[in-house]
Amino acid sequence: MSIKPANPVKKSRSFFKDFSVMSLRNRIAFYYTITTAFLIAMVFTSIYFMVEKVVYKQFDEEINNEVEEILSDSHISTHDFKGFANLKNIDTDDNDKNSKKINVDTDFVELVNSSGEIMNKSASLSWCALAFNPNQLGKTYFNSNFGGSMVRQAQVPLINTKGITEGYLIVAVPVKNAIIVLNDLRDIFFFSFPVIIFTLFVLTRLIAGKSIRPIEKVISTAEQMSQTNLDQRMPMPYHHDELYRLSSTMNALLERMQDAFQREKDFTANASHELKTPLAIVKGTLEVLVRKPREREYYETKIQFCLKELNRMARLIDQLLMLARYESSKINTNIETIALSRHIDNVIERVRPSAFAKSISITVDHAENALVAADPGMFDMMLENILSNAIKYSPPGSSIGVVIKNIADTIVCSISDQGIGIPEEKLNAVFERFFRVDESRNSGTGGFGLGLSIVKKLADLQQIKVSVSSKENKGTTFTLILPAVTIND
Amino acid sequence: MRLLIIEDEPGIAGFLKDGLEEEYFAVDIAYDGKSGLDMALINEYDLLIVDWMIPALSGIEVCRQLRKAGNLVPILFLTAKDTLEDIVFGLDAGANDYIKKPFEFEELLARIRVQLRNNNRAEDSLSAGSIKINPVSHQVFCGLLEITLTPKEFALLEYLVRNKERVCTRSRIIEHVWDIHFDSDTSVIDVYITFLRRKLEAAGCENLIQTIRGVGYIIRESGIS
Repeated sequence: MSIKPANPVKKSRSFFKDFSVMSLRNRIAFYYTITTAFLIAMVFTSIYFMVEKVVYKQFDEEINNEVEEILSDSHISTHDFKGFANLKNIDTDDNDKNSKKINVDTDFVELVNSSGEIMNKSASLSWCALAFNPNQLGKTYFNSNFGGSMVRQAQVPLINTKGITEGYLIVAVPVKNAIIVLNDLRDIFFFSFPVIIFTLFVLTRLIAGKSIRPIEKVISTAEQMSQTNLDQRMPMPYHHDELYRLSSTMNALLERMQDAFQREKDFTANASHELKTPLAIVKGTLEVLVRKPREREYYETKIQFCLKELNRMARLIDQLLMLARYESSKINTNIETIALSRHIDNVIERVRPSAFAKSISITVDHAENALVAADPGMFDMMLENILSNAIKYSPPGSSIGVVIKNIADTIVCSISDQGIGIPEEKLNAVFERFFRVDESRNSGTGGFGLGLSIVKKLADLQQIKVSVSSKENKGTTFTLILPAVTIND
Repeated sequence: MRLLIIEDEPGIAGFLKDGLEEEYFAVDIAYDGKSGLDMALINEYDLLIVDWMIPALSGIEVCRQLRKAGNLVPILFLTAKDTLEDIVFGLDAGANDYIKKPFEFEELLARIRVQLRNNNRAEDSLSAGSIKINPVSHQVFCGLLEITLTPKEFALLEYLVRNKERVCTRSRIIEHVWDIHFDSDTSVIDVYITFLRRKLEAAGCENLIQTIRGVGYIIRESGIS
């Protein structure tokens, strides 16, 4: 007994589970069919009741005419109900008076007194009596069963001049034909309903299946895709509808993902090349060095050379770690108001030795005493990276210019060099990791191509806009747009 | 044996040249793919060491073009990329072997020797008559007696023994034993041959190196009495 209540619960759960895994086409068909079934049921029901109402209205009018006809009799008009009751013949039609059998196809008239006793009746009624409802005081229409078939009847109170109900006139008409029609209508509705619903379900399922077929293709394409095989694309459906948009959106997404993966792959390859090369140089040099005894001087030069390579490697590792730190986690910036010109002077002091070595002069044009909102440490690092980059790619004896301008509520700081410049088609890539104009990645020029991507990262963190413009063999200009700070006294 | 290194990193090219010259190889360096390809097509090298990531023309492309030109010189490629597909790609492009950076110098030497030996004989069996040469330890024996040779003398003898029964012209000897900086004054070969003959005779190996007048030299096993 205890199992019994558990069973229906389980059943209903499995029903919902089945429902939740139902395929989209079945679900569309299911919902559509349910909704349509409801609508059709409503339409059928209202048609049925409207027809029924019209039919009965017609009967009621017919009965009314009959009543009018009887009441127009002179006895009624003088309110002589007794006389009316004694009328020999209240038949309206030429009915067969001798027939014992009730002819239900004709009208029936009956006169009862206030207590329901039959005072008079039409011959068509023969030995039967019509139904009488003593509780109905006014004029009423209702259906009743008479001799095994349905009749529509009216019960009209007969009121004398004093306002007292003396009796009732009951008139009935057979409704057999109308009932047949109504029943037929009901049967048609009843049997056609499931057929219509079933056909609708099958058709909807078919149409839904056809219209979501592109989704199946999208799914199968997506299933075949993996990280290593990202060059597949979704098939585009013929119609420019939502599914077309879905496919094109997914394709755009895949394009971006592939780009990102490729960049990641390139980054790893570049990082591995940049790290392994100095390692290979140091390892190889030392291995060759220890193969046989040598002069002291030879040892010294080779060890110096190795130290240089190791320093380069240490610099690379520093930059990689810095980049990783800024990229992976949320770095807290310490934005404060700084005097731009003082920071620029400081950074220039720091890079002056390397500029001096190439006899490059750095000029600063402080237009005004600009205050900006920036993280002092990060800002200095940005500036140092840009300046060392400019020094690295400038010919000896050239000059680097730093210009500060106040434009609207921003401070624009531009750093221009007269260096080798960057070809226009490569300008977009300058902030990418390991980007170098000289693709051979020869260590001769010195850099790794990480400095500018660090600049970009730092700029993004501080909401500083950084852009670059360049002319090959003329020079490159880096522009920083910083939010200006105005101090109100 | 004369090698060409195509490598854009001066550091790597530098220690390779130093180390290999100490192993009695004549070594040339090209710092980019294009000049490397030109040098490989003009000069006759015994082996190429090619870095995969080089400017102007990639190592793979150098390899392909050499093979297309019918040049069958053994190619050993250096790579910092170590994915399987890179290695398969490189070997399929026509390279004979590869070595990953950073590598052991000893391993590089062994791989070079593998490419240089003929018919896959063991390295210690390089011999002609009673002369036995060990290219690994750079020792030369006449019977049980060791002969001390200078690097150039050793390289010259090794080349002649590797090509025994074949006439080696003076220009071929120059190409394979001396590097590109040597001005092709072939008379220097005669000087070295004289030194070599003197040392061999002192150890008891006479008439090993025979002169083909106006052409060059040959080592014949049958010609030794």
